[in-house]
Amino acid sequence: MTAVTTQAVEIAEIDPRDVEVRLNLLLDPGSLVPLHPRDDSGLYAVRGMVNGSPVVAFCTDALKMGGAMGSEGCKHIVTAYDLALRERLPVIGIWHSGGARLAEGVEALDAVGLVFQAMIRASGRVPQISIVLGPAAGGAAYGPALTDLVIMSNAGRVFVTGPDVVRSVTGENVDMESLGGPDTHGRRSGVVHVITADDASALSEGRRLTDLLAAQGSFELASLGADPDLGALLPENRKRAYDVHPLVSALLDENTFFELHAKWAPNIVTGLGRLAGRTVGVIANNPLRLGGCLDSPSAEKAARFVRMCDAFGVPLVVLVDVPGYLPGVGQEWDGVVRRGAKLLHAFGEAVVPRLTLVTRKAYGGAYIAMNARALGSNVVWAWPGAEVAVMGATAAVGILHRKKLAAAPPGEREALHAQLAAEHERIAGGVARAMEIGVVDEVIEPAVTRSRVAAALAGIPPARGAHGNIPL
Amino acid sequence: MNHTVLAELVANVFKVVASPGDEVQPGDMLVILESMKMEIPVLAEVAGTISEIAVAEGDVITEGDTIAVISS
Repeated sequence: MTAVTTQAVEIAEIDPRDVEVRLNLLLDPGSLVPLHPRDDSGLYAVRGMVNGSPVVAFCTDALKMGGAMGSEGCKHIVTAYDLALRERLPVIGIWHSGGARLAEGVEALDAVGLVFQAMIRASGRVPQISIVLGPAAGGAAYGPALTDLVIMSNAGRVFVTGPDVVRSVTGENVDMESLGGPDTHGRRSGVVHVITADDASALSEGRRLTDLLAAQGSFELASLGADPDLGALLPENRKRAYDVHPLVSALLDENTFFELHAKWAPNIVTGLGRLAGRTVGVIANNPLRLGGCLDSPSAEKAARFVRMCDAFGVPLVVLVDVPGYLPGVGQEWDGVVRRGAKLLHAFGEAVVPRLTLVTRKAYGGAYIAMNARALGSNVVWAWPGAEVAVMGATAAVGILHRKKLAAAPPGEREALHAQLAAEHERIAGGVARAMEIGVVDEVIEPAVTRSRVAAALAGIPPARGAHGNIPL
Repeated sequence: MNHTVLAELVANVFKVVASPGDEVQPGDMLVILESMKMEIPVLAEVAGTISEIAVAEGDVITEGDTIAVISS
């Protein structure tokens, strides 16, 4: 009884924001090894394990000057990065910091700049994950933003200038949460990949992501079990939009799909998961949102994800059901051409094993952007009945044969349109023609798709892109 | 609290599935839009009671228009 009481008192006395408490929640029990003695620098850097994989981690000390970063603390981070690069270890940063230490002036700014430089040096070489548990302002905002993946708890806030400065400069009245809270960054800005309900789940999600990138495993085809009939997850009505999430989850090993940027640009789904035990990245159009159209934010979101996977050697599965690019003035002015080009570039330069599966349709420019053969996809498959074309046959003949259709008597117009569409499909569209010219390899059945995808990816020599992961 | 369901893109309202007063759960279908030559269901994101359906079949709606209001 006495022992229990003592322990309870001890726990109550330790602030949950303590750096060691936070790092111990992140790391495997008993694995934390300090890289330096605890000091007043406002920073604690350590090494440890996540699910048995060695990592480097650091935590800004919210209890010392609000986690403000000075030259000493920044040196700890840079030293930790040097170690991580030497030993090829992932780096996990826990953030709760008001930014650079004002009292240190330009020395602190320089030190924060050196932290950024260390992150950029490590970019694409070792996975970098940031977990934001409190305000991360100014310099502390760009720290997480430079890393590969950003997780934010309900208490996390990221902004360059706080509400007071915003109010005095622009007159806008805004609180910290709407300025830079989880909803803002998870839904609007795309700064944050994962939002969580509390600190503990932010840290455990950080562990899951670390595990997916640090312990990628290998394809164990014998572990696959019976194939699910993935076709049953699509509506019978081919015109009907549907949520692609169940399809992604069923393709992967059970309960392994970890979605990134779930609320931002939801018309494309990106995430990591395991297939036959190995980490893979999935990119899928989501017809339920914007009909699954590509637009500027979704192209940018997918482009960054593709480049991250390529940098860390994660094979890619691309599920295509795309009607095209979203038309509109807003899109053009928003730079859909520039931002869409990022996705072309990302796929085109990727060297990881890549497989594309057209489930229903791939039209126009979006067909190319969704990892077409021309961009170097290793394997391109289609499900029976899938369409691969510049546009749907009915729409295409509406343009190609506009005069002929207009000249037809109104009563016969519809039949003529259907007949022309069928002809067009035979000549220009359809998977048959795509297979003839070698841009689709094979039509495969939905009921064997999961095992075929795993086997195909397992058969492609592993590779890893040699480039940084600029936060596109 | 009122949760407003907004249109994400220009579309025709193909079918109105739910009615004011209906209890809905996240994922329940409210209306079906027609756009990009597809039928695109609009689903409830929150649980609650529908206090308003702001569109009728055949309406043309544009990005940002209110489709429905759910009180929770």
